[in-house]
Amino acid sequence: MLKHNLLLFLRNIRKHKSTFLVNLVGLSTGLACVLLIYLWVNDELSVDKFHANDHRLYQVLRNVPDSSGDINTNESNSDLLIPAMMAEFPEVEYAAPLMDDSSNAIISTGDKTIKGSGKLAGKDFFNIFSFPLIEANGDQVLRGENSIVISKKIALALFDRSENLIGETVNIYDNTDGEALYAGDYSISGVVDTEGISSSLEFDFLLTNELFLAKRDPYDAKWNSNGVNVYLKLKEGTDATEFQSRLNKFYRAQLEVVFSKKYHHYIGNMFLQPFSERYLYNKFENGVQAGGRIDYVILFSVVALIILLIACINFINLSTAQASRRLKEVGIKKVIGASRRNLILQYIGESVFLTIISLVVAFVIVLLLLPQFNLITAKEINLRPDPELISAALIITLLTGLISGSYPAFFLSGLKPVETLKSKLKTSFGEFFTRRGLVVFQFSVSIIFIISVIVISKQINFLQSKNLGYNKDHVVTFLKEGKLVENSETFLKELKRSPGVLNATQLEGNISSFDNSGGGYKRKDRPSIQFTFARVDYDYVETLGIELKEGRSFSRDFGDEGSKIILNETAIKTMELEDPIGKIVNIRGQREIIGIVKDFHYQSLYEKIEPMFLLYLPEDANRIAVKIQAGREKETLAGLEKLYHKFNPGLPFEFEFLDDEYQALYTSEQRVADLSGYFAFLAILISCLGLFGLAVFAVERRKKEIGIRKALGQGSTQIGVLLSGEFTKPVLISILIAVPLGYLLTQNWLSGFAYKINIELWYFVLASVVALVVALFTVGTQTIRAAYRKPVDALREE
Amino acid sequence: MLLELNNIFKWVNSGNRRIFLLKDINIQVEEGEFISIMGPSGSGKTTLLNVIGMLDNFDEGEYNFLEEPIQSLKEKHRINLYKKYIGFVFQAYHLMDELTVYENIEMPLLFKKYSSSERKALVGDMLDRFNIVGKKDLFPTQLSGGQQQLVGIARALISSPKLILADEPTGNLNSKQGEEIMELFKQLNEEGVTIIQVTHSEKNAAYGSRTINLLDGRMIKD
Ligand SMILES: Nc1ncnc2c1ncn2[C@@H]1O[C@H](COP(=O)(O)OP(=O)(O)OP(=O)(O)O)[C@@H](O)[C@H]1O
Ligand SMILES: [Mg+2]
Repeated sequence: MLKHNLLLFLRNIRKHKSTFLVNLVGLSTGLACVLLIYLWVNDELSVDKFHANDHRLYQVLRNVPDSSGDINTNESNSDLLIPAMMAEFPEVEYAAPLMDDSSNAIISTGDKTIKGSGKLAGKDFFNIFSFPLIEANGDQVLRGENSIVISKKIALALFDRSENLIGETVNIYDNTDGEALYAGDYSISGVVDTEGISSSLEFDFLLTNELFLAKRDPYDAKWNSNGVNVYLKLKEGTDATEFQSRLNKFYRAQLEVVFSKKYHHYIGNMFLQPFSERYLYNKFENGVQAGGRIDYVILFSVVALIILLIACINFINLSTAQASRRLKEVGIKKVIGASRRNLILQYIGESVFLTIISLVVAFVIVLLLLPQFNLITAKEINLRPDPELISAALIITLLTGLISGSYPAFFLSGLKPVETLKSKLKTSFGEFFTRRGLVVFQFSVSIIFIISVIVISKQINFLQSKNLGYNKDHVVTFLKEGKLVENSETFLKELKRSPGVLNATQLEGNISSFDNSGGGYKRKDRPSIQFTFARVDYDYVETLGIELKEGRSFSRDFGDEGSKIILNETAIKTMELEDPIGKIVNIRGQREIIGIVKDFHYQSLYEKIEPMFLLYLPEDANRIAVKIQAGREKETLAGLEKLYHKFNPGLPFEFEFLDDEYQALYTSEQRVADLSGYFAFLAILISCLGLFGLAVFAVERRKKEIGIRKALGQGSTQIGVLLSGEFTKPVLISILIAVPLGYLLTQNWLSGFAYKINIELWYFVLASVVALVVALFTVGTQTIRAAYRKPVDALREE
Repeated sequence: MLLELNNIFKWVNSGNRRIFLLKDINIQVEEGEFISIMGPSGSGKTTLLNVIGMLDNFDEGEYNFLEEPIQSLKEKHRINLYKKYIGFVFQAYHLMDELTVYENIEMPLLFKKYSSSERKALVGDMLDRFNIVGKKDLFPTQLSGGQQQLVGIARALISSPKLILADEPTGNLNSKQGEEIMELFKQLNEEGVTIIQVTHSEKNAAYGSRTINLLDGRMIKD
């Protein structure tokens, strides 16, 4: 039986190659899509899930209202919280702080040197989290101020081994904030092997936070200070909600002592979020959980399923459309004694078999696309034959096969043998309608994808090309690290003399996204103005090409620039200052306004330009920015590197172009754009394949009609138009459906940006025309060929 | 008694008119009979044969097959009866173009419980009996009409049915081929198989032991 059906299946394929190919290509690309997204989603879902006591791990967060009444969700806390919790709450098994220390440390042993990023962690960090430690346990590491835990990667780089390292010494040198806060020798207390682990907490080494506590001004040990992330392991059986409310009460009680009564409404609330949820549910809006990365997980899963659905629709449409081809087969089988069950099994079996073949092809496609996919998604996904993947793939395949096969199976097997043998299958209105409806669905989705691609790429284009108020072209930035810290002035002087260098400066943080906030400006009876600010050096304004509206920029020609301030236009407007130049304002102390810069975008375009100021504080700068001459990049960079190595021999020179840094602000948008481009292409490809299959079939079915029409003298073009018209209608209906939906979707996406394009009519026109043209072309290849055939051929073949 | 039709009516509704395809059909068939059904085109011969063969339903009356009342049987049960006792032969052969002669003949066995060696033996017997061993790997389109009909009959016989229903089995054949098929039927009948055939030819009808004449869906006296 199986063999027989297999034979029938194979011989049918040979007879109807185009149908088979359409189905194979459609289903395998659909499956490949789903597999890729499955791999990606699985990877996303697995982040932070490897900790043994995942269900007992929490992070402490706070919802804090700001002066404008918005609630900000904050993950940093006072370090006082940790000892307090351990003392007050027996249900807390362990609590540990984690602080960012340096992302640019230099780790060395004698002759070997490597860059790495480190954090400060509490001693019980490894009792909370299950990062695998080599030759140590959670109670042995991070005890004492000179204790360090390094990653296996660092261990291998420095010692060529990852074992037998306990007690070895490494030197941590510098970090770029100029203070070299935790520089010194440390003794290795553990090596952590993070290979194959997906963790949102990433580090090359950990020092103990006792270092911080020891050096910190005791005056700063306050409940309203913040700066540490706090992680908890609760004892088994603890009611987290109940604990959270007691913790919050406790926290508020501490702050109520610190804050005077009229500020009590600024205290906010403390709450817990399960640690492994943090990665996907990382966005809070006004204190309420509002998705985060999970949005993309859902979005892409839905999209992948839709694409697979489109492929299934092809299968359904083609099999029912071609039912007449198989009517005889059904009839004979019934006459010979096949039961309905036999037939259903046969046809479902066929579609399952086809999807299994498609799965094999899909795996090949996935293998080929994976490198590119990893590039787009910034992942390192491998195709490993793990049982979970295989069973998921098989389940998806079986479901696909069942969904695609069941309609044709039930449809065909339900026909009466007498009718089928007469081969007279009247297409019922309902069936015709379903087929049309499915085509409409496919094309609506395709058109929505095209509209999204247009809008997203337009918006990204807009983001890239928008006049930011500064010139990001030909600006190279790199860290002020190593010897540059003490010798920045000399370095900058030499830098400016180098050939190809137009200007150079130093600054703190990133140019395209600085987010220091502070310096409230008090106003009468109104909340004080909050600013964003940057600490910069001379030539900052000039190097970046920021336009001055009034006054001057920081300059060597004047003394005491440290007590001056430069504000942006928005700040002046918000402060309602008239004739601001020369006025003294109280922003981080009494300062004289020496200049006003035109507004420029110091953050991503998701953010509005807010009041902002610049301070002259070169000592705090941690980054050098160099404006170089266009067209001489290569030699100029070589010169830069040479100069850098003169100061920092042995350190790798790692630089970045400012426009790349700027683009990196929109990585996830770029990712969405890239992926939706691929998805749109796939959707339209698969839909057109289906349409192609239907056209092949329609032409075949109407061969005789075409012959008769021609014999009666109707022109070929007329016939071509007539046939194509049958397929244009569903596409036109799709346009009517897709345009408003596409508008709503893209409008919704754009609403996240403070600065955005206007959606224009031609986007929709273009998307519709593309869909229509592609569809007509697909159908046309078939209909025109049929229309131009000699009428005799058509009639004879009947 | 193999089967018995009592007051069978079959109709279709067209608009608000009722068109009768079969009117008051009464037939008794004993095992071992060879019956011919005759009548002008459109008189309902095929319809009647399909009703007897359970390929089509009827609207009124009683049909007992081996004492089983067909009108009140479930579809599954009916198919089982049918699979076990009835073989069909068509004017247009209705072979599966995608299957070889061998596979076509084997097909009915696939819907029953036969081991593959049993199937092999049975198909082999059939091929031998109809002298088409040499053609077993050919596809139907590679055969002459007479050969195709032989395959059709072989397929109908493979599951050793009690009753063969043949709808103008020689309609597409030349007279010599037709004669051969009729001889074959006669021989089968002598071996005990009951045969009901529809035919237009008096000569073919003469092979049978009795003739039923139809006119406008009604039986007329012979
Ligand atoms: N499903 C149907 N709906 C309407 N009329 C039908 C249907 N099936 C058969 N008929 C009509 O019933 C009548 C009998 O048809 P049937 O096929 O049984 O004739 P026949 O005797 O086999 O003719 P022929 O010798 O040409 O094969 C014909 O007039 C036919 O048009
Ligand atoms: Mg007939």
